[in-house]
Amino acid sequence: MAKQKQRPLRTRNGVPLTRDEYRQMKRAKEQEERKKRREAWEAARGPLDMPFLLLAMLLLGIGLLMLFSASFPDAQASSRLGNDPFYFIRRQVVFAGLGIGLMLWVSKINYERFRGLARLALIVSFVLLVLVRLPGPKENGRLLAISANGAARWLGVPNTTLTFQPSDVAKLGLIVFFSESISKKREKMKTLKEGFGYHIAILLAMVILTAIEPHFSGAILIAGIGAAMMVVGGIHWGWIAAGAGGLGFASYLLAFTDVIENFFKAIKYNASRIAVWKDPFGGDIEFRRDEAYQTIQSLYAVGSGGLLGVGFGKSRQKFGFLPEAQNDYIFAIVLEELGLVGGTMIMVLFALLIIRGFWLAIHARDRFGSLLIVGVTTQIALQTFLNIAVVTNLIPSTGISLPFFSSGGTALVIQLVEIGIVLSVSRQIPAPKAS
Amino acid sequence: MAKPVKQPENGDKQKQQNRKPNSARLAKLVIQRRTLALLLVFGVAAFLALFAKAYDLTITQHDQLQDSASSQQMRSTVISASRGAIYDCNGVTLAISASADTVFLDPNAIAKHADKLDKERAQKLVDGLEDGEKLPMSGQEYKDMLAVNLAEILDIDQQKIYDEMAKTNYMYSILKKRVDKPVSDRIREFITSNDTGKTLQGVHLETDSKRYYPHSSLASHVIGFLDPDNHGAYGLEALYNDTLEGSSGLAVTAKDGRGSEIMFQYEQYYDAEDGHSIQTTIDSNIQSYVERGMADMISEFGAKNGAACVVLNPKTGAILAIASNPTYDLNNRSAVYDEKLQAQLAKADEENPPEPGKEHSAAYYELLGSLQNRQWRNKAVNDAYEPGSTFKTLTLAMALEEGVANRNSSYYCGGSVVIEGSDPIHCSNKNGHGSQTLVEAVGHSCNPAFIKMGLDIGRSTFYDYLEEFGLLSPTGVDLQGEGASFFIDRKTFESHDIDLACYAFGQNFIVTPIQLIAAQAACINGGYLYQPYVVEKELDADGNVVRQHDSTPIRQVVSEETSAMVREALEYVVTDGGGKNGQVTGYRIGGKTGTADKNGTKTASNPLGDVVVSFLCFAPVDDPQVIMLLTMDTPSRDTGIYVSGGNFVAPTASKIMADILPYLGISPQYDEETQTAAEGTVPYVVGLTKAGALEKLNDYGFSSYRTVGEGETVTDQTPAGGAIVPTGAEVILYMGAEKSGDLCTVPDVTGMTADECNRTLVNAGLILKASGAAGRGAKAISQSVDPGTEVAAGTVISVQMGQMSDIAD
Repeated sequence: MAKQKQRPLRTRNGVPLTRDEYRQMKRAKEQEERKKRREAWEAARGPLDMPFLLLAMLLLGIGLLMLFSASFPDAQASSRLGNDPFYFIRRQVVFAGLGIGLMLWVSKINYERFRGLARLALIVSFVLLVLVRLPGPKENGRLLAISANGAARWLGVPNTTLTFQPSDVAKLGLIVFFSESISKKREKMKTLKEGFGYHIAILLAMVILTAIEPHFSGAILIAGIGAAMMVVGGIHWGWIAAGAGGLGFASYLLAFTDVIENFFKAIKYNASRIAVWKDPFGGDIEFRRDEAYQTIQSLYAVGSGGLLGVGFGKSRQKFGFLPEAQNDYIFAIVLEELGLVGGTMIMVLFALLIIRGFWLAIHARDRFGSLLIVGVTTQIALQTFLNIAVVTNLIPSTGISLPFFSSGGTALVIQLVEIGIVLSVSRQIPAPKAS
Repeated sequence: MAKPVKQPENGDKQKQQNRKPNSARLAKLVIQRRTLALLLVFGVAAFLALFAKAYDLTITQHDQLQDSASSQQMRSTVISASRGAIYDCNGVTLAISASADTVFLDPNAIAKHADKLDKERAQKLVDGLEDGEKLPMSGQEYKDMLAVNLAEILDIDQQKIYDEMAKTNYMYSILKKRVDKPVSDRIREFITSNDTGKTLQGVHLETDSKRYYPHSSLASHVIGFLDPDNHGAYGLEALYNDTLEGSSGLAVTAKDGRGSEIMFQYEQYYDAEDGHSIQTTIDSNIQSYVERGMADMISEFGAKNGAACVVLNPKTGAILAIASNPTYDLNNRSAVYDEKLQAQLAKADEENPPEPGKEHSAAYYELLGSLQNRQWRNKAVNDAYEPGSTFKTLTLAMALEEGVANRNSSYYCGGSVVIEGSDPIHCSNKNGHGSQTLVEAVGHSCNPAFIKMGLDIGRSTFYDYLEEFGLLSPTGVDLQGEGASFFIDRKTFESHDIDLACYAFGQNFIVTPIQLIAAQAACINGGYLYQPYVVEKELDADGNVVRQHDSTPIRQVVSEETSAMVREALEYVVTDGGGKNGQVTGYRIGGKTGTADKNGTKTASNPLGDVVVSFLCFAPVDDPQVIMLLTMDTPSRDTGIYVSGGNFVAPTASKIMADILPYLGISPQYDEETQTAAEGTVPYVVGLTKAGALEKLNDYGFSSYRTVGEGETVTDQTPAGGAIVPTGAEVILYMGAEKSGDLCTVPDVTGMTADECNRTLVNAGLILKASGAAGRGAKAISQSVDPGTEVAAGTVISVQMGQMSDIAD
């Protein structure tokens, strides 16, 4: 250490410098660095991507309107909710305000700072996933988890709205961690061990922890987000082909054989959902009244909509026929009230948001930014597709909420934070140059 | 923590490319390409799939799904319209609806409740009972309790209740429709307070409406009844069902998933329109006179096949009464009403053992069905018959109208007449009536005379008249199931004389009583043919007249002069001819008797064959207000009286007319001979002196008296003041003596002349009111109080006078 303290010989092109010359040079260097820093700062403070922001806000606005329409009959009929027709919408508006504030704040943070949070985010995610699963003396057989609708998936302060799903946090944690990890790996992503194996191990651990909550839909989403990020991150195309093949084969087994149905029967987990999906109107009267009820009611709502819908606010199915009309099945009410035309317009808005998201990913300044956006956009895309597909019985019922529409405060806040992350990345997209 | 600004990727693109390692550039390129692929999958392909599915549901399957959705979202409630009433011509209610409850079970709920009870009981058995606690009822005990009690209250089989309870897939099974209020009150009480101490599960009442017929069997064939679903099944109830029923409304309301109604703009409400009431031309008083008279006549003469009667207003065609026997109780239409038929049914039940599992034998049910059909049948409208001599009225009118007969025509009867190509046709008087005037020929009901008239009229003209009188087609009366007449076709008829000869005295064809009386009314009312009808007007719920029958005649068939001559001839029939039993004291009656052989009823055991006896009459002769045709089918030949319309039917017709005419406000006119039959009101004379009492009695038309006791003033009198008795009756004045409290025994006066009757009854302390045939040959044929009955002194005994002859009609 002492040796280093010895003043080195300062030269420029081999010519020793005088002290003044050296100081001058140092000043110039400092100025240059300051300039660079300012440039970087300015880059991070670049303009938000207005199309993405506007699309997200438009969807949120429409989502709030539809939530009010879909939720007031149940809220009014429920003495548990104080027969207050504004119960759901009031909560949602409060959380939307909070979420928008957080979104704007996050969008101003230089996303590169998140790199340093990556490991922490992953660790927190795993801790929460384990906490929610810990067995204990509570009525639901858990230590901490809070149950709602028969599933122990929540943590937080019981009997308040201050609850969240660890799986929602895990999605965000996974996106940040994978973005950081994959962006560092570069061509090593092609390798089995450091690329595929490392990430798939983390992903599987997270998926399994979520699935055994049990939270099957959350596990699907996490798996989908992770897989998409790995694909984009550059794993060997062979894995992609194998994954796509596996998915296709599973779909075949699901649709045309009893294998998957029997598997679910064996583990006694929602096996009837597949039978319902295949033919909701089949089976005996008990089947239609119990297992297939929600799907049938959803199809009634969607079918009643027709081309132009029955009119905003005029749904009949929301009056006690369609369960969870304000939640997972809100899009059935959208189609009933606004018809194919209104529903398609909303789907187009979602599609544009997703396309714009991926476009931003393509143009992001660096791989980390691209991957962050890919993760977030994939989550929105998967949730939107799976939700609408369930509502229209295109796929078996899973229980995935519709972004910006479904009732659920913390989920909405997390979605808006994620939008904030995308906006943050969008700020640093270099303006295209004429050359 | 690395400082983000230190990242090597900083700087513009040109620099990046220059400064970044190759691997980073490649990695970025991979990300960009693969992100583009994701964009296409998630941003385009996925949404195309969703759109396709949404299109399929919202457009292709729209109708089907919307229908299913609507059926669960909408509740249509039928708003029942109240059924209109049926009134007689004076506004007396003949049929009216009132609400009644239907009792039904919810077998599904009962089964669930029974399961619950079984579980509770099993739990109790496990937990053990506390001291004094009873073991809860089992499911089966619950069902038994329901079956026993409901069967008792509703008066139905327990087995039926068990059967209904076994239909556990259903939530609605009717136990008994439209029970009366006392029964529904008991059910209601049973539901709320019973052995279980709780409200019963699965037993319900729903409001329905029930039809009531206040006069039971009165005019039953006209009014008709409803089917189990409250739609008209028979009679006016069926014919005017649409009018009476109104149109039920519909309330379509939206409901939510819990079944509560929600307020929304797609509610629709179609108001119910209450049914209209109908006012008939039937006069329930006249109807009851007719029905009573007919029932007496049938039992007296043992008619095997019932009787029918139509009373018309000849000036409008309005049916004042129409009756058929056997009849039935409208409030219990399935039960056999007639006592003789009940006996038949009881016999069939005794003779045949019941079918296994059923209450009665198959033969019993078969007989029951045929008897029901018989008692529901309106013979006056549904059944055509061979009219016989009452048809001669028409032949007479035709002959007069055609000018081939007049007051001075003379007819010779040698006992029979030969028509070309047939056996001789005999007159009822085999020795012949000799030479007779037109009126005498009618009075004798002389067949050869009417054959002569028919031949004089001519085949073609005669047939024209059949058509003119409306006999070839139904009258179109607004009653159900009008029967058709049968006449030989015109071509055959015109090819020979034999049919004309038979038609002229009313044989060889069939008509319904309603057709015949409409034509006969035209003969005596000045020549106008009216369509007979029963519904005078239709009234809406507020009582406004929405439709009124139009009584314009269909056509004039004969002239006023012809009609007057017919009336004169028919009056002669009653005063001097074969219809003397049809006389009504104080009234000028026109009439015609009839006895017609029933075709094909002559057998070895019944050589004379069956007959239909009838009597047509109208009054007053100078201005007919009422015309009646009374027929009796297959009377017994064992009464010892010669079977004829004049002997069997005319006396009853006379009794009925004697009731109808004063009721219609037509005052009797008495001449010297019939003066004793005139009625007067006995004045109050108690407290007067004898002279004063006599003077007062004289003023009131009573001249015959007797005193009992020696007092100064009248202390009591018989008949009592205010009583209406024949003015020839003897008034007993008690002058201080106690009025005898003894009862008088009614003597048998049948077979006596009027004078003998009067003497016998006065001696017995009773008062005679004679009616019917007058003159030397008339004898009492029936009396209003049976011989041997004990009645108070001074009771008026009505005696029907008649003159039985062995001459056919």
